[in-house]
Amino acid sequence: MPALFSRSSNRTIRLTLAAAAAALVGIPLALMAWVRTPAITGQRSAPPQPIPFDHRIHVTGLQIDCRYCHSTAERSAPAGIPATTVCVPCHSQVWRDGPVFAPVRHSLATGRPIPWQRVNSLPDFVFFNHAIHVRKGVGCETCHGRVDRMARVEQAAPLTMSWCLDCHRGPERYLRPVEQVTTMGWQPPGGQAALGRELVRRYHVSRLTNCSACHR
Amino acid sequence: MTGDGRRCWRDLDELLDTPDFREALGREFPAGAAELADGMTRRSFVRLLGASIALAGVGGCFERPRERILPYVSEPPESTPGVARHYATSMSLGGFTTGLLVESHVGRPTKIEGNPDHPASLGAAGVYEQASILQLYDPERARTARLGRAKASGSEVAALLSPARLGAAVGASGAGLGLLLEPSASPLSAEMLRRVRERYPAARVHFYSPLGSHASDRASLTAFGRPLLPQYDFRSADVVLALDADFLAGGPFSLRYARDFADRRRIAAPTDGMNRLYVIEPGVSVTGGTADHRLRVRAVEVESLASAVLAAVIRQSNRPGMPGRQGIPDSVASVLRGVEPPPRHREWIDAVARDLTAHAGRTIVVAGERQPARVHVLAHLLNAALGNAGRTLRYIESPITEAGASSHELGPLVEAMRGGAVRALVVLGANPAYTAPADLDFGAALRRVPTTVYHGLYQNETARACHAFLPSLHYLESWADGRAWDGTASLVQPLIAPLYGGKTEAELLGALLGDAEASAHELLQDLWRGRMTGTDFAGAWDEALQRGVIAGTAAPETTPTWQWDAIGSVLSRSPPPADSSLELVLEQDPSVYDGRFANNVWLQELPDPLTKLTWGNAALLSPATAARLRVATGDVVALAYRGRTLRVPAFLLPGHADESVSLRLGYGRGAGDETLAEGVGANAYRLLTSDMRMFGGGLAVSPALGDDGAPLRDRLASTQTHWRLEGRPVALRATLDEYRRDPAFTAPQRGRVLSLYEPSPGGGDQWAMVVDLATCTGCSACVVACQAENNIPVVGKQGVLDGREMHWLRIDRYFEGSAEDPAVLMQPMLCQHCEKAPCEYVCPVSATLHSPDGLNEMVYNRCIGTRFCSNNCPYKVRRFNWFDYNAEVAETERMAKNPDVTVRGRGVMEKCTFCVQRIREAQIAAGIEGAATGEVRTACQQACPTRAITFGSLNDPDSDLVRRRAEPRRYAALHELGTEPRVQYLAAITNPNPELPRGDGGE
Repeated sequence: MPALFSRSSNRTIRLTLAAAAAALVGIPLALMAWVRTPAITGQRSAPPQPIPFDHRIHVTGLQIDCRYCHSTAERSAPAGIPATTVCVPCHSQVWRDGPVFAPVRHSLATGRPIPWQRVNSLPDFVFFNHAIHVRKGVGCETCHGRVDRMARVEQAAPLTMSWCLDCHRGPERYLRPVEQVTTMGWQPPGGQAALGRELVRRYHVSRLTNCSACHR
Repeated sequence: MTGDGRRCWRDLDELLDTPDFREALGREFPAGAAELADGMTRRSFVRLLGASIALAGVGGCFERPRERILPYVSEPPESTPGVARHYATSMSLGGFTTGLLVESHVGRPTKIEGNPDHPASLGAAGVYEQASILQLYDPERARTARLGRAKASGSEVAALLSPARLGAAVGASGAGLGLLLEPSASPLSAEMLRRVRERYPAARVHFYSPLGSHASDRASLTAFGRPLLPQYDFRSADVVLALDADFLAGGPFSLRYARDFADRRRIAAPTDGMNRLYVIEPGVSVTGGTADHRLRVRAVEVESLASAVLAAVIRQSNRPGMPGRQGIPDSVASVLRGVEPPPRHREWIDAVARDLTAHAGRTIVVAGERQPARVHVLAHLLNAALGNAGRTLRYIESPITEAGASSHELGPLVEAMRGGAVRALVVLGANPAYTAPADLDFGAALRRVPTTVYHGLYQNETARACHAFLPSLHYLESWADGRAWDGTASLVQPLIAPLYGGKTEAELLGALLGDAEASAHELLQDLWRGRMTGTDFAGAWDEALQRGVIAGTAAPETTPTWQWDAIGSVLSRSPPPADSSLELVLEQDPSVYDGRFANNVWLQELPDPLTKLTWGNAALLSPATAARLRVATGDVVALAYRGRTLRVPAFLLPGHADESVSLRLGYGRGAGDETLAEGVGANAYRLLTSDMRMFGGGLAVSPALGDDGAPLRDRLASTQTHWRLEGRPVALRATLDEYRRDPAFTAPQRGRVLSLYEPSPGGGDQWAMVVDLATCTGCSACVVACQAENNIPVVGKQGVLDGREMHWLRIDRYFEGSAEDPAVLMQPMLCQHCEKAPCEYVCPVSATLHSPDGLNEMVYNRCIGTRFCSNNCPYKVRRFNWFDYNAEVAETERMAKNPDVTVRGRGVMEKCTFCVQRIREAQIAAGIEGAATGEVRTACQQACPTRAITFGSLNDPDSDLVRRRAEPRRYAALHELGTEPRVQYLAAITNPNPELPRGDGGE
């Protein structure tokens, strides 16, 4: 009686089994890798805003401190998106009538807020507090990137939990003196290693990796 | 001695060890808890939709939708997004105010707390006050005015009330005008009413509340000729006798009284003294559950027992060596000379009288609002005979507008309405079509009035019966004022702009006076400009708003002038014959009050302190009476009383007086916009009669039969049998004498247990809690506080029946002793934050873990809902989201959510977090300042009127927590399991009178 299966079918079955095994491991791995890509995390995405507000002009050109507009960064959980009236003191003098400024005029006239698009979004079960990070010497740039070079603000960091934990596990690698928090492009004099250890001591920075530090 | 706690039981099935109990004991959830509400089972549903669910999951992996950020146009200087602010305001209930602090997140009130500066609160908040936030956001609140059947604008309805229109209908003197309000102590309302009376001198102004102070006001008028209000000082009372008085919960000054009372029960060391509480009552109230000795008698017998106590006190005071009779004249004393207690209560009454006499001047006798005026007179006399006046109590003029006057009777108004004398009736706030005594037939009288206007939060029964409707503002949207039980005035300031528009009571009265656009803010300022002391009104106003009380407004003490003749004649009138028939007792509901909170889901789902019933009321009766009537829990019975019949399920309550049936008011709401309230429970007002007696004999109880002739049964959603602890020693208690003899009686239930698990690290903040069972009354303020703080959903009646209730903090009510006359023990049960937590060892995905500061953390975003943790939890404190309860929450109700706490979705386990959001907030604030973590107070601790809950860090040697943990009566629940819980209890200590049989029913 001839064999029911040809000799080559052994190879096919082995290959199939191997492929199945690889898929069993590979597909979850691929999916896990995929959710960490910028396509999913939104890293480097820069949604269009109602006003083409250019941080390059305001930060690099005019040397306005971050906290002039993001005024609650040192005392509250959100850093604060400026109220329409914050624009007015300068823009009643310059760039008052251009079409790009129409949403501001409209907001002032109607009392309705300017609908900014959120760039850095965390899930609702994450409770991030700007104030404590700023007071412990985490620079704006560390998470938000070189905002002074952004024509349209983009999400600089992946904002994944492992990205958060990277710093929470070893904050000395990222800290800077509190006076330099808003400086863009700051470089640690004498290297980060020694300074970081000193800052961790000076600011009583602990390695917070327990869940309820962020999830409540 | 019950140090082992093994004799405690939670329901009658458990005491009798029935097969039903054994079956339920073995299950974590009742049968069917995992099934969907409709016919399809959960498993078949998952099978059918498995594939689509799998695909739906993939959809969630794509990029999140973009959110918008809407900043202010012009940022108010006081507001910082992300930082909550607290504003002082006050809430009136039953005519009296309680001062509150309301937490507000960028203009959105989210949580109500007590105002520490207010005498009626001292920082605590009751269930009604806390849950009222949900009423503000209730999507079923009235949104528009109505004229006839058509929607109308508020000004159209207000125009109806203008003098030009109204004057024509009711006459220039207002003879045809009727006003019906709720009793109130608000100076602004009083002033507006004065002006209305000036404009319409012949108008009929009446006040009605079913729970009003009819009897006590009448008693004061008899005894003193004036409506005086006794102000008790429980801090100086060694012995307290409550005559059917639930002074520890639900009343206008209960938060304060509970605090003062508990201050004398909170013993730091066995050598400390504590007060003693005697209670005579028919049902089992929160106060009765706290009593050292409780005499369960029918409500009609309270009067004769009160006079027997008074007679015995007078007799004993006449003996040499006693402090004397304290000025009760012979004319009155002689009336009581022959009064003897009934033989079966003689021993009890004599012992109480001896105890009271021995502590003369340091005792308090309180009469309950439900009891007739004579009982209140007897209480006044007892306090006088014991020399308490000026020591443990003082009298003030009642702050209630026209207290004791005939305007507080509803009968004359209804009579005039029926006779056609009332041409226009304006009803403000009250809901008389529902709460008026059934025999008055308020609805029929209302139809005889040509113009009727209703002003209220909801289009309720009365609104539906009225021609025109005008929405009122919630107190969190209003400018108003009020006075507390002790007379202290406080302002009501709005926390949010009106959600739907409407008018406050003062604005409506302003419209009656011709000012349709009256502003409550201006009226209020005009009134107080002349009344606030000091020259700088703006400063005084700001301070009153900031502090929440107006300084120096507490009512001055007044010396009563006794009307001995009137008292003598009232007492000598022979008491009503003591019939032995079955009696009906109506009472205020600890959840829905008089029915006004019936649409409030937090309160509907709040278990009753004693019966643990949710979503409805029941006829409560003693096991012996139930046996005589052949009724079991859940049987629907027909209560026939004074010609009316009401069907209601029966519920056996151990400790209830025999031959008495109590029924709570406020359920069985009729047709209206409050759809959640409609049809929940039975309407006890149908059995209320116009003499406003809240109890009476002559009740007939028979099983209710269905159309097929079979007895009807109803399922009562009681949580008392959920989450059982299998008879282990959990709630411990000892008497003061036992505690003094053996201070270390809880020693076997504490200390380290040998374990293979690593000890927890001990540095930094180490959070822990101590709960004092000696002062816990079971009032449930903590349960609502927890619900409000932690965004805890409600599950509905069917959900409770299925054991799906979500309360993170429950109060276990234990009975101890016999089924007929047990002692009651309350134990708040929450996540014990075990150092060696059994839940943590079994979670397959590490969704529950230990934090370095000793918290048992629950990570919702990791949880996959295996429920292993709940299965392994010996305390049964973990709650599972069987469904997406928050998806069904209305848009407005979402505004009540605490933004600092995750709103959990379906399929996630949750439990007490020790208010971790407050801990982290305090730690962040301390980190910013570079200081040590400041005081952290959990929501339950903050709300507790008796301060039974203490929270803090074990490493803070100066903290209250460490001090209280060092008390000898500390123990850990289920200590022998070696879980080493961070929540520890202080065993309850009672102070029974050695002359009497034991108060725990163990005689």
